[in-house]
Amino acid sequence: MLIPQTKNIGLPLMNLMRFKGLPILQQLHIEEQLLRTSSENWCIVNDGTNDPTIVMGVSGKPAELLEIESVLDDQVPVIRRFTGGGTVIVDHGTVFVTFICNKEAVPNLQPYPRPIMSWSSSLYGKVFQGIGDFHLRENDYVFGNHKFGGNAQSITKNRWIHHTSFLWDFNVQNMSYLKHPKRAPAYRSARSHLDFICRMKDYMPRSTFMDKTVEATETQFSLRPIQLEAIRTCSEAEFCPSSRFLTNEELEAAAVALQS
Amino acid sequence: MENICKFSSNAVADLHTNGIVDVPLAQTGEGIAECELLKWFIQEGDEVEEFQPLCEVQSDKATIEITSRYKGRVAQVLHVPGSIVKVGETLLKMAVEDTQVPLVTLSNLENEKQPDIKSNKDFNSGVLSTPAVRNLAKEHGININDVQGSGKDGQVLKEDVLKYATQEGIIKDTLVTATADLGQLLHQEKSSLLESAQVSGHYEDTIVPLRGFQRTMVKTMSMAAKVPHFHYVEEIDCDALAELKASFQTNNLEPGIKFTFLPVLIKSLSMALSKYPMVNSCFNEESVEVILRGSHNIGIAMATPNGLVVPNIKNVQSLSILEITKELSRLQQLSLDNKLSPADISGGTITLSNIGAIGGKFGAPIVNLPEVAIIAMGRIQKLPRVADDGDVYSASIMTVNIGADHRVLDGATVARFCNEWKRLIEKPELLMLHMK
Repeated sequence: MLIPQTKNIGLPLMNLMRFKGLPILQQLHIEEQLLRTSSENWCIVNDGTNDPTIVMGVSGKPAELLEIESVLDDQVPVIRRFTGGGTVIVDHGTVFVTFICNKEAVPNLQPYPRPIMSWSSSLYGKVFQGIGDFHLRENDYVFGNHKFGGNAQSITKNRWIHHTSFLWDFNVQNMSYLKHPKRAPAYRSARSHLDFICRMKDYMPRSTFMDKTVEATETQFSLRPIQLEAIRTCSEAEFCPSSRFLTNEELEAAAVALQS
Repeated sequence: MENICKFSSNAVADLHTNGIVDVPLAQTGEGIAECELLKWFIQEGDEVEEFQPLCEVQSDKATIEITSRYKGRVAQVLHVPGSIVKVGETLLKMAVEDTQVPLVTLSNLENEKQPDIKSNKDFNSGVLSTPAVRNLAKEHGININDVQGSGKDGQVLKEDVLKYATQEGIIKDTLVTATADLGQLLHQEKSSLLESAQVSGHYEDTIVPLRGFQRTMVKTMSMAAKVPHFHYVEEIDCDALAELKASFQTNNLEPGIKFTFLPVLIKSLSMALSKYPMVNSCFNEESVEVILRGSHNIGIAMATPNGLVVPNIKNVQSLSILEITKELSRLQQLSLDNKLSPADISGGTITLSNIGAIGGKFGAPIVNLPEVAIIAMGRIQKLPRVADDGDVYSASIMTVNIGADHRVLDGATVARFCNEWKRLIEKPELLMLHMK
């Protein structure tokens, strides 16, 4: 038992927070707070969120990305998050994994989108070794050419965040709230949503995925479990997160602008 | 150990217009041509420190904070949130203290007797353009104000300067050499400036502050000098290689592709690396670990007008010779245009230096940390060889010198690796054995 411990000597420290069913807006607030106010490395795993919610990237335009009428009719909450990237609809079938790191945390890793993306794919490569022809395709995690995980990042002066939403399972009807995005990866080849994505549950049990992700992370970091309460006290009062719900008025205005 | 991280312009080229510097959008990443500006953290008139965040941009999946390269005052903000900014385009103008980027150099050599800021009419330009384009105009003795700009808001682009220069008869051909043959990648800067100084009778000292690629070279070479090197020299017969190249050229179906020796040398290098993975590794001094890199990201040292740069071709083990040829051409063009991205120049696992394209029998290269080997290839020369039966014949011989990190590699490993590489170059048909 000495050997696993000695392996950790010299590995950078990373705090691990695990949640189940944490509301996605709360997760985003915590992530942004940790990115901007903490100087430690973090890994967050959220096993599903509560209600189905649409989450758009920082500069997403609702009119282009959403079927606004259906979204308003069914009162589906829409969040604009603080990281870049595309639009997803998340629910209890989505598993979230986030890495928040200092620039020097991963040796020889350049703090730019592509290198971070490659680093993350090599970590998940360990998780999915021998399973389903996993690889990083443009900016998505795929089995073969079917996407099961979408990524987004934010890079600041000294730190970066890379977070992923994994489609462990999804509700086919929910996908109909999302339009075909104007900017789609080339490998999508104009496929419809359902022909483009796949369910991770067809490849791996949920708990196995999360355990293996933690194990893979442990090969590069010394993980320390942390409870939410531990971060609640510091700087939360001063920090103002930018991820927020879009109001009905904003969505209606977008719909009107589209029609005119 | 930091990988070399280079930005697409350097401070000498970020010219002085009475202390105003154009700050381009640079720090974004591989393959990203443009970003959306999301928000400014500063406004005109603000004092900023070096490394202070200036703005946030979005590229594809990432929001990225762009930090300031200089300490100074924000003179002019050139874009509003929501606008798309191309990488290399000027984001804002900053008033920088003269001590950061001394003005003495270029003006001294150009036409003034004394470096006098006020009389430098060349610099007093209200025209919108990037530092690299201003530099190009100056190299040709063109007043950038005279050039019609075809870019956004009348911005003067590189093509505009070249067109103007051609029209005025200042240059006969286009400057851009799009060939894949490294033999034509000669940089002219300092030598031509020195020539003009001597012609006009100015033999004064010139201070050249090293910035950008050159400054990075100071740092990386200083670190690399601490590594115990040994050098292994070998001669390689390139007759078969020359025949292969001729065959590629004669049977070429794709227009615009020029075949040279380098892609075949690169592919056979990758084959040899598969057999000797230790040569394609990185050494981590702190943990005393060697990482055997799975990808063969082969760096090619290139001489550009801005200095030495080493972009690498990623995953050569998975590329065909034709794909390598195209990728090499792409990187050469980018390095000439000074548009290499950080990802183009990071992640390399071994470096090739085709110094022979410029001249020399062979070099004694210094490893490009954190790699453990570098190969300098001298000029291919026709030399007399003696056959087994005693007859003298002529062969095209290239001398190579492999510089290796002796903390990781021993002579035997490098010798065997080099034998394998030499075998594949001298008998390129053996490459077919590994064809999938």
